Amino acid sequence: MLGKFITGKLLQYFIVIFLMLTLNFLLPRLMPGNPLVFLAGEDVGFMSSAEKDAILDKYGLNDSILEQYGTYIKNIFTGDFGYSYQQKRPISELLMERLPWTMLLTGLGLVLSTVIGVMFGAISAWRRGTNTDANLLTVFMFLSAMPSFWVGMILVSIFSAQLGWLPVFGAESAWSNYTGMDRFFDIGKHLILPLATLILISVTSTFMIMRYSMLNVLGEDYIMMAKAKGVKEKVIKYKHAMRNALLPVATVFMLSLGFTLGGATVIETVFAYPGVGRLMFESVLSRDYPLIQATFLIITFSVVIANFLADLIYPLLDPKVGSRNG
Amino acid sequence: MNTVLSVENLSTYFKTDKGIAKAVENVSFSLNKGEMLGLIGESGCGKTTVAQSILRLIEYPGKVVSGRVLLNGRDLIKASEKELSSLRWKEISVIPQSAMNALNPIFTIGDQIMESILLHENVSKREALQRTKTLLELVGIDGERWRSYPHEFSGGMKQRVAIAMALACNPKLVISDESTTGLDVLTQAQVIALIKSLQKKMDLSVILISHDLPMVTAICDKIAIMYAGNIVEWASTGDLLKNARHPYSQALLNASPDLGNPEKEVVSIPGSVPNLVNFPNSCRFHTRCPHAFDKCRQEIPEFKEIKNGHYTACFLEEEGNHG
Repeated sequence: MLGKFITGKLLQYFIVIFLMLTLNFLLPRLMPGNPLVFLAGEDVGFMSSAEKDAILDKYGLNDSILEQYGTYIKNIFTGDFGYSYQQKRPISELLMERLPWTMLLTGLGLVLSTVIGVMFGAISAWRRGTNTDANLLTVFMFLSAMPSFWVGMILVSIFSAQLGWLPVFGAESAWSNYTGMDRFFDIGKHLILPLATLILISVTSTFMIMRYSMLNVLGEDYIMMAKAKGVKEKVIKYKHAMRNALLPVATVFMLSLGFTLGGATVIETVFAYPGVGRLMFESVLSRDYPLIQATFLIITFSVVIANFLADLIYPLLDPKVGSRNG
Repeated sequence: MNTVLSVENLSTYFKTDKGIAKAVENVSFSLNKGEMLGLIGESGCGKTTVAQSILRLIEYPGKVVSGRVLLNGRDLIKASEKELSSLRWKEISVIPQSAMNALNPIFTIGDQIMESILLHENVSKREALQRTKTLLELVGIDGERWRSYPHEFSGGMKQRVAIAMALACNPKLVISDESTTGLDVLTQAQVIALIKSLQKKMDLSVILISHDLPMVTAICDKIAIMYAGNIVEWASTGDLLKNARHPYSQALLNASPDLGNPEKEVVSIPGSVPNLVNFPNSCRFHTRCPHAFDKCRQEIPEFKEIKNGHYTACFLEEEGNHG
């Protein structure tokens, strides 16, 4: 039963991936602008049409759309994402360089902001109507109203410029030759500000979802029944209420998980953090077609994989889902 | 006869934006061992609040402001949280208003029944499971279905599970709070018959909360009729049917159809239930009572015994001009 369920899902995901590949191929070709300008720079105005053709030929841009599409699909499945016109390096190499930093920043950011949001959301709901609840709500609403680049800049000006505690940009100190624990702490120091910014701006959604979901669960009859049965309050909170209240949070977590590999563009830009988000931003600015496609593709794949994981994990969290699909 | 439960002058108020809602006011009744009491009244008259007050489940903005609830002589209102935890389910349990929502969707029904056994009795998991299976069989469900989740049962079966759960620790008193609401008539009859047979078999004391007067008169030994937060009349079922004294009880009896007598005209009660927020000191039924006179609008009638075991709160009794 489970096998059949997984095969069915896999088929769905293959269709999704195929559609995304096609869209991804068409997207940069539908956008205005000429790649020649970016390939040859300002000189393009002085080039003969034969010279232009030679450049376009070199990058396969003179082939028919269908031929280009065929090459594109073939390359994707052989792990060849092409060559970045702008950075003059193979894209797979660029991605391998950027992905670990992005995973470190956004992955850790997602996990921490979920944990913090869940904790405070639950506390807020458990103390509904008290000052604690009102204060938490105010703080989290305030956080959600702040734009990320602004938070980033404020943090930099306080902790880096004024106090001088933390580095201003980058993922690790340039030209330092730290190894072992020294490198670990250096990376940690560089991570604190962008990570804090990411958590500050994203924690409110989890907080709000958790608070609302917990309030709903606390109003359910089965919570009153548990109390009537003589179950202790702590056990009611953590065993009976928490797991039910976590279901909507889990859904949002899974959705966000898909986007973590896309990085946090704004924050990575503000802190000059070498993640995929910034790579994507740079590639769009310079109309670096293959790079745009590759970064978009990474996001697509990770969303699909996250959804697949969610499909596998959700039945374990909510027995209703398992039996409906199986 | 030994009294299992004695409720004395119980009042439960709720704080609202508009003032204090006296949801339950000065309610008194008692229950003997092996007896089944029907608590009858319209929706919103405070039946469930009475049940929750007895179980000490009233939460802010509600509060039990006065009265005593003596369970085998021990006052539940004064009991500490720790005492309550050990009393709950062991002595007093509840079959909830809607079993659909009273079972936690993420635990198997077996887990939920076992939880109450393991909580209150020093038995092994294995023994608790064995008892859970026996309980399920007792209410007509295959014992092996303890592994099922609530959503895998129909409404009627969930209600049976809730009954099995209520009986898990052999309580002395079971409160059935409109436990057939939301079920079709046939399933309702089955569930009620099941409760009645278990009550006889296990010599339970049961408070059956309902708005279904014909059903309650058919199976309860005694009946207490509630109106707008007060018990207006409390008597044995026979006495009440033959000789209802309170105008509201009479009206309620007239408003119920009688299958044995299809000629009977069903008369509705004109007017509507008063708002209980900041209710003036008067008989709560005076706005709809055909016999109301000045005193009814100015004073609260006392709830007192007018005949052996027959209580009512109405000024007509003392005036001696009962219509």
